[in-house]
Amino acid sequence: MSSQNLQFKGYALTDPSKWHDLKIIEFKPKTFEPEDVEIAITYCGVCGSDVHTLTQGWGESKLPLVVGHEIVGTVTRVGDKVTEFKPGDRVGVGAQRGSCLRCRQCKEDYENYCTNGIDTYNAEYPDGVVAQGGYSTAIRAHERFVFPIPDEIESRHAASMMCAGLTVYSPLRTHGAGPGKKVGIMGIGGLGHYAILWAKAMGAEVYAFTHDKSKMEDIKKMGADHVIDTTRKSFHKDLTHTLDILLSTRDVFGDSTPLGDYLSMLYVHGRFVTVGLPDADDPLPSIHAFDLAPNGCMMGGSKIGSKKECLEMLELARSKGIKPWIEELPMREVGKALQDLKNNNVRYRYVVKQDIV
Amino acid sequence: MSAQKELEFKGYAMTDPSAWSNLTVTPFQPKNFGPEDVEIAITHCGVCGSDLHTLTGGWGKSHLPLVVGHEIVGKVTRVGEKVKDIKPGDRVGVGAQVGSCLKCRACNENYENYCPQMIHTYNHEYPDGVITQGGYSTGIRAHERFVFPIPDKLESRYAASMLCAGVTVFSPLKAYGCGPGKKVGVIGIGGLGHYAVLFAKAMGAEVWAFTRGTAKAEDVKKMGADHVVDTTVDGYWKDLQMTFDILISTVDHFPPGVSIREFLSMLYVHGKFISVGLPDVDQPLPAIHPFDVTMNGSLLGGSHIGSKEDMMEMLKLAADKGIKPWIEELPMKEAGKALEGLKAGKVRYRYVLKQDIAPVEA
Repeated sequence: MSSQNLQFKGYALTDPSKWHDLKIIEFKPKTFEPEDVEIAITYCGVCGSDVHTLTQGWGESKLPLVVGHEIVGTVTRVGDKVTEFKPGDRVGVGAQRGSCLRCRQCKEDYENYCTNGIDTYNAEYPDGVVAQGGYSTAIRAHERFVFPIPDEIESRHAASMMCAGLTVYSPLRTHGAGPGKKVGIMGIGGLGHYAILWAKAMGAEVYAFTHDKSKMEDIKKMGADHVIDTTRKSFHKDLTHTLDILLSTRDVFGDSTPLGDYLSMLYVHGRFVTVGLPDADDPLPSIHAFDLAPNGCMMGGSKIGSKKECLEMLELARSKGIKPWIEELPMREVGKALQDLKNNNVRYRYVVKQDIV
Repeated sequence: MSAQKELEFKGYAMTDPSAWSNLTVTPFQPKNFGPEDVEIAITHCGVCGSDLHTLTGGWGKSHLPLVVGHEIVGKVTRVGEKVKDIKPGDRVGVGAQVGSCLKCRACNENYENYCPQMIHTYNHEYPDGVITQGGYSTGIRAHERFVFPIPDKLESRYAASMLCAGVTVFSPLKAYGCGPGKKVGVIGIGGLGHYAVLFAKAMGAEVWAFTRGTAKAEDVKKMGADHVVDTTVDGYWKDLQMTFDILISTVDHFPPGVSIREFLSMLYVHGKFISVGLPDVDQPLPAIHPFDVTMNGSLLGGSHIGSKEDMMEMLKLAADKGIKPWIEELPMKEAGKALEGLKAGKVRYRYVLKQDIAPVEA
C-alpha cells in the first residue's frame, strides 16, 4: 500500500450514551514530522482502557473518538530523521505515542513516566490535533514509541502485547520476578494471563488468584504452579508471608475487597502492584498502617512500560515461543468485543482485524 | 566492683487506665531467666510514641499493671550459659522487641523484626505466660538476639532513643538505598523524623525536611537538612514533583480529609513513600486511587523497627560519625510529664528518662 493512498478512518465513539456503538469516521492524523513513522494498521487489541474511556468512567472524553492502543501494522512511510524503521517493516504501537524526550524520565528509559507523555488516544498534540487510536486504518507515531515485531511473532499475537503484555512485563521486571521468586497474580484476564506467561518464562514460581472456577483449567495450561480460588474463605491464610510480588490486574475494587488479607500474603518488603486502573470514583480499599507493618510491605502502581522493556518482552516472547490466548473478530464487530470485555466474557484478549480498507 | 546483689525488678507502672500518665513504682515479675538471656540493670530509657498509644488505650487494652518503655540502655548484670558475645559489665541496649521464633524464614534472613511470632518489649506475653514489662524500670531480661552492645564512643543517654526511634527510620533508609546521589525527604520532624534527617545525611543523601510551619526550621538546618519545606504553604509540593527516591513519613495519623496524593506525586519513578507512624487502630491511612501511584510507578509502604543487623550498623554509624540526637533529659519519676509533653507535641526532639528507682553501679 502506498502512502499517498493511506486513508485515516476509524470506528469512533460519537454518542457516549451508546458507548459501544462505533461508527466509521474520517479523522485528521498527527501532523507528519521528521521523527515520525506512519503505519497501515492490520490488527488492534481490545483493552480495558478502551472500555473505561468510551463509557466515560475515566472522565469526559473527546468526541468523536477512535480508541484502541494495541496496534500492529506495516510501515508505509518514515520521516527523514527516522533511523530504526523503513517502509514495509512490521511494527507495533502501544498506549503511548509521544513524550518530551528531554526530561529525566525520558533520558533514563522511563519515557512511560514523562509528565508530558501523549497517550495514543484521547490526548491532544501541542498543535491541537487530537490523538486517535487503533480501531482504524492507520496511525502516525514518534519512532520512540514504535516497536519492531520479531519475525517469529505473528501480528495477531503481537497486538495485545503492546499494552496488556507490556503493562505486566514492566512491573515483573522492575520488581525482580525471576528464579527463586514467588509471584502472585490477581485477576486472570487479558493482563493477568500475560503475567502468568511472562512470570513463568522469567523463571518464577507463579500463584494465580481467581474467583472464576471456569478459568482454572486454562490457568494451569498457561503454566501457573498454583491456582487459588478467592471465593474460598480465608484463602490468604495458607500463604501468609509468602509472595515477593503480588500483581493485581483488577480494575474494580468496590468496598468489600479485604486488601489487608492480600497484603498479608507478601513476604518481607514484598510488593503489591496494581496495574488495574478503575474508574475515577473507585479508590483502593482503605488500609491501616498495621496492614503494612507486619511485613514491611509496599503497595504501588505501574504505567505501561518503556521501549527498552517492550523490546526485552518481545525477545522473551520470541525466544520462548510465547503465544497469548486470544479471540479474533473483524474490526466491525469491535462493539461486541467491548461489551464482552466489560462483562468479563473474554478468554483472554480480543484482537480485531482491520477491515475498513 | 562490690559483690553483685540480686537485681530487683520495679518500674513506673500504669495501674489505672483512666489516669494513664500517673505511673507509680510497682514491682513486677521479670522474664524467667534462660540460657540465652541477658539481664540488664537499666540506666536510661527513651520515651516513644508507642508508649503513649499503649497507655492511652489507642492500640487496644493493656495488661495491668503495665510498665512501658522500649528505648533501653543499661549495664549487663548476668548472662545465660549459652550467651557468647555479651558479658556482665557490658553497656547494652534493648529496643521494641525482645523475642522471636528464631526458626522461620524471616528470622533466618535477618528479618527477625518481621517474625510472625515476635514478642514486644512490653504489653505482650511469653509462651510461659509472663507479661513483658518495659524500660521505665530498674531492669529487664531479654534474649541475646535482642540485646545490642553500645559502642564505647556513644554515650548511653544518646544511644537510648536510637533503639526504637533511630532504628525505625534507619532500617527503611538502608533497605531502600539511602546514600550518595539519592534524594530523601523526611515528613514530620519529631523524635523519629529528626533521626531520619541525621542518618540520611550521614549516609550521604541530599535531604529535604517537611515540617508544618517554620518553628522547627532553624533546628532542622542545624541537624543538617539541605532543604526545609513548610507544608502549610499552598502548593509546596508542586516544584518537587518527580523528585524523591525515598520519602520517610513519621506522621502518626493523617487528619480526616488530608490526602497523601501530594506526597506520592513528589516521588521519582519507582520511588518509595514509607510510613513508620503507627496510629490508633481507628485511624486508617487516607484512601488512595491507583492513579496516585500509577503516574510515577511509586510505592507506599510500612516498616517495623529494625533487625539486630540494622541496629549494629546504625550504632556503628552513629559512633563513627559522632551523631548525637537532640534530647531532653528528665529523671524517670517525671515520666508522666514527658508523656504529656510528647502528646502535646512539645518535645525537642526526644525525651530520655534517667532511671532513679535503684542506682546502677558504675
